[in-house]
Amino acid sequence: MKTSTTVKMTTSTKILITLFFISFLCTSTINAQKVEVKGVVKGKTEEKAEPLNGVNIYLKDKSVYTSSNRKGEFTFPKTLNVGDVIYFSYLGYLKQKVTITKNSTNLTIVLKEDDNEMLGAVGTNKRFSSKRKGQ
Amino acid sequence: MQKAFFLLFVLYTTLCFSQKSDFKHINFTKADRIASTIKSKRLFNLNKLTLDLTKNLDTDIEKVRAIYKWICINIASDFKLYSKNERKRKKYKKDSIKLAEWNSELKRDLFSKLLKRKKTICTGYAYLFKAMCDVVDIESKMVYGFGRTVDVTEFDPNYPNHTWNAFKINNKWYLCDATWAAGISYPDENRFIFKYNDGYFLTEPELFIKNHFPIQKEFSLLGDKMPTFQEFIEMPLLYGGAYTYLNKYISPKKMYYSLQKGNTFNFNYVFKKEVDPKNLKLVFVSGVSEKTYNPFISQKNDTTTLRYTFNKAGYFDVHLYYKEDIIATYIFEIKKDNQN
Repeated sequence: MKTSTTVKMTTSTKILITLFFISFLCTSTINAQKVEVKGVVKGKTEEKAEPLNGVNIYLKDKSVYTSSNRKGEFTFPKTLNVGDVIYFSYLGYLKQKVTITKNSTNLTIVLKEDDNEMLGAVGTNKRFSSKRKGQ
Repeated sequence: MQKAFFLLFVLYTTLCFSQKSDFKHINFTKADRIASTIKSKRLFNLNKLTLDLTKNLDTDIEKVRAIYKWICINIASDFKLYSKNERKRKKYKKDSIKLAEWNSELKRDLFSKLLKRKKTICTGYAYLFKAMCDVVDIESKMVYGFGRTVDVTEFDPNYPNHTWNAFKINNKWYLCDATWAAGISYPDENRFIFKYNDGYFLTEPELFIKNHFPIQKEFSLLGDKMPTFQEFIEMPLLYGGAYTYLNKYISPKKMYYSLQKGNTFNFNYVFKKEVDPKNLKLVFVSGVSEKTYNPFISQKNDTTTLRYTFNKAGYFDVHLYYKEDIIATYIFEIKKDNQN
C-alpha cells in the first residue's frame, strides 16, 4: 500500500517538476523579448509637428499609464512585450495605437489633428431686447 | 407569458420615461462629493485624474456624473478666446483655407490653454468630457449644432456655433451641456463666474431642443418629433433659469406673436417640485418702460398655466421671471381693434 502511494506521488511530482521547467522556459523567452519603450510624441497641425505636453500613453485597460513631458518625451513605466499595444491620446488629436516590436525602444509618434471645428457659444444671462425700426 | 409581459413592460418604460427618471434610484451625492474634493492644477495626466474620479464609484452613470461635475466646477469659460474666434471666423468666412489655418492655430492654443490653465470654449468642454469618458470606456459623442442664446437669435444655417455631449448608458443615449452648466459669462465685462446649473445634465430632450439644435438629427434624441430648423429659429428664447426651474416646456411654441387687443394668452409649463408659482411674474418691456405683472395662475395635474389678457396695444418684449431669475423671452405685437 505504502509503496504504491510513494510511486504515485513521485509521478505527480515529476509532472510538477516538468511543468515548473516548462513555465520557466516560457518566462525566460518572454523575458528575452521585454522592451523598454521610450520616445517622443509630436502633434501635427496644418504646417508643422511640435512636441506635445501631457499626451496620455497607456495600455488598453489603463492598468499602466504615463504622460509625456514638456518636450514630448516619455518612458513607459513598465517594460513591455513584443506584440503589446499602447495607446496615445491627446485632446484635439486622433488617438493612435502602437504595437510594440523589438525596435520600439525609441519611438517617434506623430499624432494627427482631429478635423473638428472649434466653436463656442457662451452661456449668458443677458436679457434679450428687441431691436425695432424707428427706435 | 408573464416573462413576455415583463419584458414588454421593461421595453415600454425604457422608451417612455426618459433621461433623469431612469436614474431616480441613484443618488449623485457621492459622485458630486468626489468631484468637489479632487483637485488637479493641470490636466497633463487625464488618465490619472479620470481614474481618481471614478475608481470608487460603482455605476456608469455615477462615473459620468463625477466627470461631468468635475469639468463644470473646474473648467472656466474663456471669453477672450471665444470673441477672438468669433472675429476670425467672420473675417475668414469666405476663405476656407484661411479659416482652416485659423482653426488649426486656435486648436493648438485652445488645448494647451485647457490643459495648462483649465480655461476653454465650448468645443473644449465637449472634447474633455468625451476624452474622460473614453478613459473609463463609456461611449460618448461630441454633438455639434446651434446653441440659441441672447446673442444669437439669428442663425446662418451654414455656421453652427455650439458643441455639447451625448453619452450612452445601458444602450440608451443621454444629453448634457457642460459649457452652459459651468457658469455665466458677462461678455461686456469680459468676465466669467462659476455658477453650476444642474439642469443641463440628463435634460429632457424636449427642453434641450429649445436651444440645442444638433446637425446630426439623431442626437436630438427626439426621433420623429425633431423640429425643423425653421421651427427651431422661431422658438422662444430660453435662459439658464429654464433649466433650473423647468421639468418640461409646453408652450408658447414661438418667440413672436401678433395678437388683437383684448386677447387672452396662455403660457404652459411643468415646473420642478420646489418651484412656488406665486413667485412667477411677467415683465413687459416696451422702449424704455418696464412693468411687472402677476399673471393669473392655475394648476392642472403637473402643468402650470399663466394667463394674461393684453389690454394695451404696442410692441412688447415679455420676460418670464422666477424671483430674480429670467426663464424665457417672448415678443408680443398687440394691435388695436380697428387695425387691419
